[in-house]
Amino acid sequence: MTTLASIRDLTVTYRRDSNEVAALRSVSLDIANGERLAIIGESGSGKSTLALAIAGLLPGSSRIGGRIDWFLPSSPPSGAKAPPSVLPDISPSRGEIGSSPAGPLSASLAMGESGDKGVISPLEGEMSGRTEGGLVRREVRKSSLKQSYIPRLGRDIGFVFQDPSASLDPVMTIGKQIAEVARTHLGLTWSQSYARAKSLIERVRLPDPDSALRAFPHQLSGGQKQRVAIAAAIAAGPKLLIADEATSALDTIVQAEIVALIRRLVTEDGMTLLFISHDIALAAELAERIAVFRHGQLVELGMTAQIVGAPAQHYTRALLDAHIGLDTRPLLDRAGLHA
Amino acid sequence: MSLLAVSNLTKCYRRGDKTIAAVDDVSFHIDPGETLALAGPSGSGKSTIARLVLRLIEPDDGRIDFEGSDFLALSGAALRARRARLQMVFQDPLAAFNPRATVARVLDDPLRVHGIASRAERPRRIAALLERVGLIADLAPRAIHEISGGQRQRVAIARAIATKPSLIVLDEAASALDVSVRGEILKLLLDLQRQEKIAYLFISHDLGVIRSVAHRVILLDAGRIAENGDAQTVIDAPQSAIGKALVAAAPRLNRTLMRLASAGLD
Repeated sequence: MTTLASIRDLTVTYRRDSNEVAALRSVSLDIANGERLAIIGESGSGKSTLALAIAGLLPGSSRIGGRIDWFLPSSPPSGAKAPPSVLPDISPSRGEIGSSPAGPLSASLAMGESGDKGVISPLEGEMSGRTEGGLVRREVRKSSLKQSYIPRLGRDIGFVFQDPSASLDPVMTIGKQIAEVARTHLGLTWSQSYARAKSLIERVRLPDPDSALRAFPHQLSGGQKQRVAIAAAIAAGPKLLIADEATSALDTIVQAEIVALIRRLVTEDGMTLLFISHDIALAAELAERIAVFRHGQLVELGMTAQIVGAPAQHYTRALLDAHIGLDTRPLLDRAGLHA
Repeated sequence: MSLLAVSNLTKCYRRGDKTIAAVDDVSFHIDPGETLALAGPSGSGKSTIARLVLRLIEPDDGRIDFEGSDFLALSGAALRARRARLQMVFQDPLAAFNPRATVARVLDDPLRVHGIASRAERPRRIAALLERVGLIADLAPRAIHEISGGQRQRVAIARAIATKPSLIVLDEAASALDVSVRGEILKLLLDLQRQEKIAYLFISHDLGVIRSVAHRVILLDAGRIAENGDAQTVIDAPQSAIGKALVAAAPRLNRTLMRLASAGLD
C-alpha cells in the first residue's frame, strides 16, 4: 500500500494566557492511500489538533513543528524541488495563498511572525485558515513545519466538522455552497458547477434534489445539513476526507446513516478517510486502522481487530473497558428495589 | 404510591400554520428510588417531557402529580417549596451556571434560597456536599470555568442534592463527558440513589448507558410512547419499530470484533 501522507515529529503548542500548552508532542504517523484511519481519544488528547494541522487550519497563534510529506497526485515526487514557475502566488506580507493555480509547492516555507495573538485553541476564536467562499486563506504563523507540498483545503482535502450549522453559510443556498467549491477548485462554469452540485446532492441522498439546491440550511434537519457539508467537502474530488466528530452531535439513528454514507462515498471515490472520534465503538465499525491518542501523544496504532481485540497498551484497554455497550454488564444492582 | 405520575401530557408547538405535538398524550409514573429512562431520536419529545415535568414550560393538556399533590396547580411559595424536592442536572453545567461564580457560590445558592442552612452553617454544608460527590473541599473557592468538565458535573450533582430532592431530572447529564469520567459519574449517581432513595428521570440518547443504569425505559417516537418496560428487556429485544431501529443503529464493539474475526478467516 502506498503512503498518502507521512507525518514526522509533529508538535503543536497553543498559547493559553501566558503559558504554552502542548497539544501535540512529536507525533509520527503514516496515512496510507485509500485507507480508513480513525483517530480516537478523549478531550485534550490532541485528536482534533492533528486533524486541523493536517488540513492547515490551526490558529495563527499556534506553534507548529515537524514535517509532513505529501504523496498526492498533484504533489511533486518526494524530495524533488518544484520549478519556481509553478509556485503559487504567495504574498509574503500577508502570507496568503491565493486561489490562482496553486501548483505543487516543494519548499520548507519559512513562515514569519504571527500577527494574531488572541487565539487560544482551535475550537474557540477564529481560525487562521478559513474557507471563505471556497477560497482557502492562510495567515502567516510561527511555524517550523516543513511540508513537501502545501495541500489545498477543498481541492486536496475535504473537511467535515461536528456542527454543520456552523460550517454552512446560513444565507446562501445549499446549491451555491456546494457549487462554489467545484467552481473554485475545478475551474468549472457556474452552470457546470450547479450540475455537479445537483449530482452531489443525489449522491448524499438528500430528498428532492431540485428543491434542495434552492433550500437554505435552516430548512434542513441536522442530519440533512451534515449531508450537505459532506457534499461540499467532496465537491472538488479531494484525495483525503477528514471527518472531525462529524456524527457526534447527531442522534444514534442519523449517526449510523451518516457513517454509512461516508463509508460509501469514500469507497466509491477511492478517498482516504481520517475519522476523528471520541467513540471507540463507532470508530471500530468504520475504520481499518485505529490510532489512539492521549495527552497529545500517539499511544497505540494498529489494525482495528488488534486495537479492539488485543490492545497492547494499558490506556487502550482502559478506554475499551470504559465503553458502555448494549452487551456490557449493567452498573445497576437490580437486586432489591424493583417491584 | 408513585412519586411522580404523569397523565395524558400534551404539548404542541406552532410551526408556520401547522401545529406539531412535541409531546402527545404521554402517561407514565416513577416510584421512589427508581430510575426511569426516556430514549428516542432527536425530536421525539424526551427533552420537552423533562421541561414539562420541571415546569420550565407549561403543558397544553394533562396532569402531573408529584409527591401526592397536583404539581401543575401549585404556585408561589408552595411551588418554590416543592421545587426543592425536584432537581435537575443538564448536559452542560458550564451553560447552567454563571461561569465566573465560584463552586462555593453555586452550592450556597440553594442552601440559602430554600432556607436549608444558616449563613454560619453553610460553609460546613458546602464542604460536606463536595465530599459527598467525591470532590475535595479545597475546590470551593475555585471558579466554575476553571475546573474540569467532570468536576463541574459533580458540582452540578452536589447542587441538585443540596435541597434533599426525591427526584432528579438528568437530561443527557453524562453524555458530554469523556468515557473514563462518565463511568465515575454514573457510579456516583447510582450510589446516591441507593443511599438517599432518590428517583431519576434519566434522559439519554445512549441505549447502552440506559441499559446499564435504568430500571425501566420508555422509547419515544414523534412525541408518543412507542414502547415501555424493563430497561434490559426492552433494549435486549425491542418490539417497536423505533426500538428496533435505535438498537440496530447503536455501535457494538463485540459485533465488530466478530465481523473482523470472520473476515480474517476468509
